[in-house]
Amino acid sequence: MGPTRGGRGQMLKYSVRRLLQSLVTLLIVVSAVFLLMRLLPIEGYFGDGYDKLSESQREAVLQKMGLLDPWYVQLGSFYAGLLRGDLGTSTIYRQDVPVLQVIAPRIPYSMRFGLVAIAIALVAGLAMGVSMAKHKGRAMDKLWTGYVVFVNAVPLAVYLLFIQLYMTELLGLPLLFDKYRPSSWILPALSMSLGSIAGYAMWMRRYMVDELNKDYIRLAMAKGLPRSTIMVRHVMRNAYVPMAQYLPASILMTISGSIYIESLYSIPGMGGLLVDVIQRQDNPMVQGLVLIFSSIGIVGLFLGDLLMALFDPRIKLAKSEASR
Amino acid sequence: MANGEAILEARGLVIKFNLRGRALTAIRGASLDLYEGETLAIVGESGSGKSVLTKSLVGMLDRNGWVDSGSAMFEGRDLAKIKDERDWLGVRGKKISMVFQDPMTALNPLLTIGAQIREVFELHHGLSGKKADYAVIEMLERVGIDNPEERRRQYPHEFSGGMRQRVVIAIAVACKPRILICDEPTTALDVTIQAQILGLIKALQRDLSFTTVYITHDLGVVANVADRVAVMYAGRIVETGLAEEVFYDSRHPYTWALLSSLPQLGVKGKPLYSISGTPPNLFNEIRGDAFAPRNPKALKVDFVAEPPEFAVSPTHRASTWLLDPRAPRIEPPPAILAMRAKLGGSSSGAAGGRL
Amino acid sequence: MIRDSISAGPMSPEAILAAADGLDPALFEPAAFDASAGERGGYSNYSYWRSTARGFLKNKVALFFLVLLVALLAFTFVQPLLPGQKSPTKIHIDPATGMQYRNVEPCAEFWFGTNTIGQDLWARIWSGTRTSLMIGLIVGAVEMIVGIGFGAIWGYVRRLDGVITEIYNVLNNIPTTIVLMLLSYILRPSFKTMVIAMCATGWLGLARFVRNQIVIIRDREYNLASRCLGTPTRRIILKNLLPYLVSVIMLQTALSIPGTIGWEVFLTYIGLGLPVSIPSLGNLVNEGRQIMMSPELRYQLLFPTVVLSMITISFYVLGNAFSDASDPRNHV
Repeated sequence: MGPTRGGRGQMLKYSVRRLLQSLVTLLIVVSAVFLLMRLLPIEGYFGDGYDKLSESQREAVLQKMGLLDPWYVQLGSFYAGLLRGDLGTSTIYRQDVPVLQVIAPRIPYSMRFGLVAIAIALVAGLAMGVSMAKHKGRAMDKLWTGYVVFVNAVPLAVYLLFIQLYMTELLGLPLLFDKYRPSSWILPALSMSLGSIAGYAMWMRRYMVDELNKDYIRLAMAKGLPRSTIMVRHVMRNAYVPMAQYLPASILMTISGSIYIESLYSIPGMGGLLVDVIQRQDNPMVQGLVLIFSSIGIVGLFLGDLLMALFDPRIKLAKSEASR
Repeated sequence: MANGEAILEARGLVIKFNLRGRALTAIRGASLDLYEGETLAIVGESGSGKSVLTKSLVGMLDRNGWVDSGSAMFEGRDLAKIKDERDWLGVRGKKISMVFQDPMTALNPLLTIGAQIREVFELHHGLSGKKADYAVIEMLERVGIDNPEERRRQYPHEFSGGMRQRVVIAIAVACKPRILICDEPTTALDVTIQAQILGLIKALQRDLSFTTVYITHDLGVVANVADRVAVMYAGRIVETGLAEEVFYDSRHPYTWALLSSLPQLGVKGKPLYSISGTPPNLFNEIRGDAFAPRNPKALKVDFVAEPPEFAVSPTHRASTWLLDPRAPRIEPPPAILAMRAKLGGSSSGAAGGRL
Repeated sequence: MIRDSISAGPMSPEAILAAADGLDPALFEPAAFDASAGERGGYSNYSYWRSTARGFLKNKVALFFLVLLVALLAFTFVQPLLPGQKSPTKIHIDPATGMQYRNVEPCAEFWFGTNTIGQDLWARIWSGTRTSLMIGLIVGAVEMIVGIGFGAIWGYVRRLDGVITEIYNVLNNIPTTIVLMLLSYILRPSFKTMVIAMCATGWLGLARFVRNQIVIIRDREYNLASRCLGTPTRRIILKNLLPYLVSVIMLQTALSIPGTIGWEVFLTYIGLGLPVSIPSLGNLVNEGRQIMMSPELRYQLLFPTVVLSMITISFYVLGNAFSDASDPRNHV
C-alpha cells in the first residue's frame, strides 16, 4: 500500500525538498546559536578563576579562544570547526576536554531511552486512541480522556516528579538510574513516553471519529457489517496510515521530556548533561549541546516526515496546511 | 411488474429528529406498500423526507432521529420497533440493501474492490477462500465489469464513477436481497452513464427478482423505470399509483405543481412554471393540508383538517380534499391538461367517482 | 384511512360524509390565496452565540471547573486584602527562642505551614500564584495579538503565504525547550527574560492555527459568493470567518496559560527561572522538591502542586470545552 506507480517520482522530489529544508534549517539554527552565544556572559569561559585573573590576563585567555576576533572571522572559524567535528573545548565542566569528547559517551543512553520511549508511546497511545474511539462517550473514553487532560494540563515537571516520588516507593523501584540494574530503566522510559501517549491517543481518536463519518463507512453499515468489524477492518486500518504524521511531534516531545527526566533520575545522557552545564555556566558545553539537540530535532523531524510520506499514497506536494 | 403479495407494509410512520433541543417531525404519518418484484419510485423535493423514510427501513437514521410511531411489517417483523443495533444485522445488506448517491466516496479507498465485495459474501453467506473469490468474480461479471479476475484486485481510485457505482450495486445485490433501495443512484453520474446504470439495475432485478425502490427527484428517471410512483411532500405521501396514473391522471395539487414544473412542458417565450413559496417548517405542527399555503386552488377545509386518503382506483390513491364528493370540480392547471392532450391520456374524471 | 367513494345510495354521499367527520360543507369552497403565506417556511432560529452558550452550559464538567477557576482567581487577588495575612517573604521568628519557624507543619498559625527558612507558605503560595498568573496572562495576551495578527496576514495575503510557510517550517523544527533554555541562559534569568522567552516561542502555534483556518475558509464557496454579492470585507471577516476562528483562538489562549506555567516550573528546575526572592509557583515547587524525600516535609511540595494543578487543569478543561462549544460544526 505504498506510493502508486507514478508516486515514486513524487516521493523522491518530496524527500529532496525536505532534505534541503532541513539543511537550511540546520544552517540557520547553527548560525543563530553562534550569534546568540556571543551575547553570553564572559564568566562562562573562566569558571572560578575569573576573579583571580587580572584584566589583561582575561583578555589573553579570550584572545586565545578567538573570542576577541571580528565576528565574521569567528563565524568562519566556527563553521570550519564544525566541519572538522570540533565543537570547542569545555572550560568549566571538564576543563580543556573537547566538548565532543564529553558528550560522546552520553549519546547512547539518550538514544536508547528515546527510542524505547517512542516505541512505548506508539503502542500504548494507539491502543488507547482506538479504545477511546470505540467507546466514545462512555466510561472508557472518559477515563482515558481524564488521563490525557491530566498529562496535558499538569506541567511535565510536576507530574514526573510525583511519579518518581510515589512510584518508586509503591513499586520498590530504584530512585536513580543505574546501568547495572535493569529495573531502573522502567520508570524513566515510561515517564518519557507519557506525554506522547496522550498525543497519539488523541490523534488516533480524532482520526477514527472522523473516519466514522465518511461515506464508505455508511456503505459498510448498509452492507450489514457489525460495528466492531467496521471499526477494525475499515476504520482502524485506514487510521494507522496517517499516524506517522504525529511521529515528528512525538520526537520533539521526547527530546523535551528527556532533558528533565535524565536530570531527575541521574541518567548519564545528554539531557542531564545540559542541565549540569547550564547550572555550571560552561559556555562552550552549552553551545555544543544546543547544537546537537537542535540537529537531532531537525533530523528526527525530517525522518518523521519521510516516514509519513512513505505511508500515505496520496502525498500532497503543495501542502495546503502547515502541519505540526 | 407487481404481482399480488405486499412484502412490506408501512403504516402511519412518524419519524422525528432532535435538532438543537427541538423536535422536528420529518415524517408525519407515511403509509406505503411494497409489492413483490415491482419498481416503486418515491419522488419529492429536497426535504420532503424521501431518504429519511427509506433509511428508517434499514435502521440507518442519523443519531438524533427515531421512529416515533407507526409500523413497517416485513417478513413478519415490525422494522419500526427494532431498537437494538444487532437486530438489524439480519436485515441490512441481506434482505434490504441500499445503493447511495455518490459513488466517488462510497468505497473504502484503501481496500481492493474485490475485498469489499467479498466482505458481503463472507458475512451473509459464510463463504470463504476460493468459493468467495468465485462469487466475487461472478458478481463483477453480472454488473458488467470487464476482466473481473484482474480488476477485483484494483483499488477504487482506479475506477471511473460509473464503474464504481456498478461495484456499489454489486455489493448491494450480492446477497440477493428482497428489496433494493436506490437513493438517487444516478444523480452524480453523466447522462450517458445514467442510462447504463438504470438498465443494469433493471436487468439485475429481472434476474435476481427483487423489489426496487428508487428515490429520486428526476421525473425522467421515474418515467424510465417505475411501475408505481409515490409522491411525497412535507413528510407525507400525498399520492400513490401506477406510473401512468400518476403521470396522466394525477389528482393531488402538489403532483400537478410538480409535473407542471417540468421544463419540457414549458412553452417557448413564456416564463417557466415554478411553485411559489417554500416547504413548511417541520418544527411546527401542521394543520390541515401541508401544501395548502402554496396551492392557489386550495379549499378552506385544506387549512382546517388533514385530508385522508381517497381511492381513485384500486391502485391509485391521493390525499386531497378535492377528491371528497363535497368538493367542487377543479380542473388541473392548463399545463397538465395540455400534457395530457398531447400524450392522449385520459382526462380527469369526476371527483372520486370511479370503481 | 381510505375512503372509497360511493356513487349511489339512499343518502347523498355528501350527507353521509358530513355526518361522519363533522366537517361543515361550507368549508369545501375555494379559499383565498395568499402567496406570502407560502413563504413563511424557514428555520431561522439559529444564533451562533446562543448555540455556543448552550453547548458550553450543557457541559457539567466545564461548569465545575469554571466555578473552581473563578473562585481560585478571585481568591488569589483578594487574599492580600484579607485580615491577618502574612507577608510572603517575611521570615518568622519565634519570639521565645529567637529561632526561625522552620518547616512547621500546617497549623492554626500557619495554614499551609512554613518552609525551610521560616516563611509562611500560605502567603507564598498565593503570592506565587499571582506572579505565575501574571506571566501567563502577559504572555497569553502578547501571543494572542502577535499570533492572530501574523496568522491573519499569513493566511489572507496569498503572496506572502509561500515565503512565510517556509520560514515557519524552519522555526518549527527547533525544539522549544532548547530555545527557551538558551534564551534564559543568555539573557540571565529574571521576570522580564521569562516573559520575553515565552512570548518568542509561543506565538507561532496560534499563528499557525489562525492561518490554517483562514486558508481553509477564505476560499470556501460561501465566501466567494459573499464577495460576489459585494459584501464588505469587514462583514465577511466578522460573520463568516470569525466564528471558526473564535474556537481556535480561545483554545490556544486558554492552553497557553498552563503551558507557560509548565515551562516556568521546568526552567526553574534547571536554574533558569525567576530569582528566589520572587515567589512563584515554579520556585515553590522546586523548593518543595528539594526536600520531598522526607515524608513529613512533603506538604511543602504538595500544596503548591495542588494549587498549580487546579489552575492548569481548569484552564485546560475550560479551553477545550469552550472550543468544542464554539465550533460551528458542533451546532447540530
